Amino acid sequence: MIPNGLLRAGLRDLVRRPLHTGLMLLGVALGVAVVVAIDLANSAARRGFARSSEAVLGRATHQVRGGSAGLPEEVYRRLRVDHGVRPSAPVVEGVVIARDLRQPLRVLGIDPLAEAPFRGHLGAGKLADPAFAAFVTDPSAVLVGAAFAERHGLAPGSSLRVQAGDRRETLRVLGLVESANPEVGRTLDALLLLDVGSAQRLLGMPGRISHVDLVLTDADVRSVARWLPPGARLVRASEQAEAVAELTAAFELNLVALSLLALVVGMFLVYNTVLFGVVQRRAVFGTLRTLGTTPGQLFRLILAETLLTAALGALVGVGLGYVLGQSAVRLVTRTINDLYYVVSVSGAPLTLATAVKGVATGLGAALLAALGPALEAARVEPVTALRPSTFETRARRLVPWLALAGLAVSLLGGAGLALATRSLLVSFAALFGVVLGIALVAPAFTVGLMSILRPAASRLLGPIGRLATGTVARAVSRTGVAAAALMVAVSVTIGVSVMIASFRSTVANWLELTLQADVYVSAPSPGGPRSGVSLSEDVRGLVAAVPGVAEVETVRLVLVPSPLGEVRLTVTGTHERSASRYRFRDADPREAWARVRDGAVIVSEPFAFRHGLPPHGAAVALQTDRGVAQFPVAGVYYDYSTEQGTVLMVREVYERYWDDRALSSVAAYVAPGHDPGAVTDAVRRAVGERALQVVENRALRRAALRVFDRTFAVTQALRVLAVVVAFIGVWSALLALQVERTRELGTLLALGLLPRQLWGLTLVETGLIGLAAGLLSLPTGLALALILIEVINVRSFGWTMQLELPPLVLVQALALSVVAALLAGVYPVLRLQRMSVAAALRQE
Amino acid sequence: MRALPVVAALVGLALLCPTAPYAQAQTTLKLAPAEPLAFARATSPRAFRLPEDHGPHFEFQTEWWYYTGQLATADERRFGFQLTFFRRGLSPGPPPVAGLATNQIYFAHFALTDVGAGRHASAERLSRGAAGLAGASGQPFRVFVEDWTAVATSPDGASVRVQARNGGLVLDLELRATKALVAHGDRGLSPKSDAPGNASHYVGYTRMSARGRVGTDGTGTPVTGEAWFDHEWSTSALGPLALGWDWFSLQLGEGRELMLFEIRRADGSWEGASGGTLVAQDGRTRRLRSADFEITVLERWRSPHTRADYPARWRLRVPSEGLELDVQPLLSDQEMRTSFVYWEGAVSVIGTSRGRPLTGRGYVELTGYARSMQGVF
Repeated sequence: MIPNGLLRAGLRDLVRRPLHTGLMLLGVALGVAVVVAIDLANSAARRGFARSSEAVLGRATHQVRGGSAGLPEEVYRRLRVDHGVRPSAPVVEGVVIARDLRQPLRVLGIDPLAEAPFRGHLGAGKLADPAFAAFVTDPSAVLVGAAFAERHGLAPGSSLRVQAGDRRETLRVLGLVESANPEVGRTLDALLLLDVGSAQRLLGMPGRISHVDLVLTDADVRSVARWLPPGARLVRASEQAEAVAELTAAFELNLVALSLLALVVGMFLVYNTVLFGVVQRRAVFGTLRTLGTTPGQLFRLILAETLLTAALGALVGVGLGYVLGQSAVRLVTRTINDLYYVVSVSGAPLTLATAVKGVATGLGAALLAALGPALEAARVEPVTALRPSTFETRARRLVPWLALAGLAVSLLGGAGLALATRSLLVSFAALFGVVLGIALVAPAFTVGLMSILRPAASRLLGPIGRLATGTVARAVSRTGVAAAALMVAVSVTIGVSVMIASFRSTVANWLELTLQADVYVSAPSPGGPRSGVSLSEDVRGLVAAVPGVAEVETVRLVLVPSPLGEVRLTVTGTHERSASRYRFRDADPREAWARVRDGAVIVSEPFAFRHGLPPHGAAVALQTDRGVAQFPVAGVYYDYSTEQGTVLMVREVYERYWDDRALSSVAAYVAPGHDPGAVTDAVRRAVGERALQVVENRALRRAALRVFDRTFAVTQALRVLAVVVAFIGVWSALLALQVERTRELGTLLALGLLPRQLWGLTLVETGLIGLAAGLLSLPTGLALALILIEVINVRSFGWTMQLELPPLVLVQALALSVVAALLAGVYPVLRLQRMSVAAALRQE
Repeated sequence: MRALPVVAALVGLALLCPTAPYAQAQTTLKLAPAEPLAFARATSPRAFRLPEDHGPHFEFQTEWWYYTGQLATADERRFGFQLTFFRRGLSPGPPPVAGLATNQIYFAHFALTDVGAGRHASAERLSRGAAGLAGASGQPFRVFVEDWTAVATSPDGASVRVQARNGGLVLDLELRATKALVAHGDRGLSPKSDAPGNASHYVGYTRMSARGRVGTDGTGTPVTGEAWFDHEWSTSALGPLALGWDWFSLQLGEGRELMLFEIRRADGSWEGASGGTLVAQDGRTRRLRSADFEITVLERWRSPHTRADYPARWRLRVPSEGLELDVQPLLSDQEMRTSFVYWEGAVSVIGTSRGRPLTGRGYVELTGYARSMQGVF
């Protein structure tokens, strides 16, 4: 227990030192804010997805699904009519783009007559007669959610212009669905409810449906499975949603890890300020000890003070996190829409779970950070307390041990990285170990650097140089910590920058290699092949007929089911040129391509990684329209188009196994002597009727890199935040240092130190700290980059990247740490200058 | 005259579904105003061509094919059956041919009365007229809703095979018309109120021989008997005050058939358009006007399930023909508790024709007792 009086004194102290209390509060708040913001964004995206899959699933327990082009509607007829499987309902799903709202909308095509057992909550079963007739017979009639309609100014009777694949269509809002249940209301967000026949037409799926919904008992399951034709399979309704949700797991984990990094930097801040509080009150604690306060009481007092401040900071952090979360959710959602699936997220409401998680993380981190200083306070002896330099002495003694411990932790982290080859969580823990370990070495490094620099500094700057290097080395308990905090932040900057730069240049090279055709024609497809967008059949012919087009290639991108889960399948032409377009990890390109033409497939690197394919003799089983078929893997190729990985086969093979004849994109090679730009324009005119994207390969590369940059926008934002937190950390450490040295500096001023020299002394000191941090951050940052590229990235996504070391990044990093440190020194000097010499001397 | 609540069934099925209360309580729908649909109306008699006219008439909104009859096994176990197919056009004209898009909704009712066991069981199917789920054609004649079908077995459509199955309930009959096609009303135009256009085209076979299997055990027992077929199509058939109707199809032992219907108003009076047809042994028909017959209710039955109060025994008189008939249900509870509730059941007839005793069998339909038919179509 802490005596009441002691606690009150502690609290008074917190209030009396508003700057430091504020800093501690800020450290916790910023860390918590980033954690909360990322958590909000992730869970908002997850919820958005869960809602949209709920809307689609309704009460179905099972689904019958087909291949890339869905199921023939005959499968539904056979199930329902010949085998009497009821309740059953046909569903046609897809995505269109609302042209005026510039937003993807999910299309849900249902049969209202078969619907009621499944999605009664969506209201289609409640259509009154005339509206029912219109819903079924008017191919443009849609129902939309009332809240969505209100947000976009839609009313019954309004028209809604959409783009479906390469066609522009105008839909008519037949009615608004409003639900008293807000959860149901949200499932209707960005959802178009159509009759199943209208949806077939809108999405260009004549005679086909996406799936059949069923409510089955376990007994039914076997018999239904028996009746299904080879191309169809029975799945649990939840399976589909789970598979899709898994797609983003690695992406989300990476964001969480980055947010925890911000928290770690925040912990430095807490450590600093708490330690400062302890050091400043050493005399008071000594007196208290002589008056009978036990070490345990002092220990608990420090923790209680920290807890109180941290609680306040955590609350502020939750609020701040909520604000940040609103931008983070936009960034995260955009990335998910770019890369994974269409999800509609209308906001990131703060949930209790997120708030509790944020506060708990903040308090935990703060307590952990305060543990050292609290122990220090407990160790204050009645006698030694009267000697001011005790703490520094002990700290200096501790420095080598800390460095040894740091090395050990780093090595442990390194071992973790080497041994735990698959677990991403362990990898992240190990990464933190490495960084933390090097941070522990930072004080020793700083002390060492100072003794190396002292002769040079003395020669160059005279007594100020000597004094400055001495001070930095002597006050290692704070200069070391400041250097460590700064080092961590800067090395994160280096690591992340190098990783992104390497990734980007790898992707750019790959784009150069892959996008060899001159003109690309495709339909906008939010969420990738999941949206099922395809080109009209005649596009290939239209493009081929354009003068100046030498050759046309087609690509089909589809998702096909397999025992491994849903697999992205890329179908290309057999053209000889294709062989040169794929770089293989360990296969001869000509040989591999020859096998592909004979019916084998090649798989992308992330695919091989994800499914742990053996390097040789692997095969991939895919659900085709003729049943499950095995495809031998001829090689693993480099591909950065998707982290899920992709399987590639040629069209001839695809058409043997699948009925789908649709195209996702058409690429044209321009004949020699023709201007690609002019041919692109001609192609654009030729397909002008349709809403197609016609781009030259340069533009396509640019667009691809834009998506890349967008994907890393969150990462960049987090990196900046880490630097901000670190800067505040350094600033507070230096401030503490200066405050502690007020008397010493006052003495110097009294002995004739000029204000100019005071500036010089302080700035040299802070510059030295910055230099130490910057120098140490270079190897640390590079190590971090290597770990990110070679371990984290590989274990998250399975991509090989060529390490790219932009020298500018390193120079920038060094400059960043020195400038940050210098800037951090400005306020303490100004503060000192305002103080009279006498006042300074009166300190303590 | 056997119009049924097509639309109510469409919407009703959704609402009556066991999970629907959730939906009902939660969801409201705000709709754009709908434009009236330009369906054809039955305004004048027309010539019938077979087998085409057995098929659907897509220019009209509503159409039904009605098979009822009484059957017996070799050991005199008696059954009554009803198999009805309904078509509802959502817009005039034939349905689109591609995919699941359609403008036609079909539904069907199937009921079996096991007289000996005192049981009546019924079922319902509902489907869109697309992709082989439901549909109708005239040449050859065929109408089906999922696995319930009526298919011509002769080119003129006078012979059909009707099949339906639901759980253990089975019906599989070969029906053969033993009399020529009857055109009810004025050469097949059957007015339902005094307003022109409130009428239907109404034809049928009043006597068909039936042979096949029925049962409740999933396989059925061989049966023979006689059936009645009605085919009627219209766009709007009820006057503004009409509530429902009582309808009789009786096959008399002496070889004649009597069809009578009365349209009931909310105030208890009858529409003047009520009428009927008397078909002679040789197939000649006599149209009966409301003044030509009188129907007296002798008993009533209250459904314990729906609380609807139905007439349950009648005396029919056609004085000009000297006909006096007592009509009695074979079973009180032959209520159809499908998405729309009505009573449709097998009856027996005892009476006299110009003083000579006669017996007969038939079916009676009573609508609008559980709920008004007004606004239903």
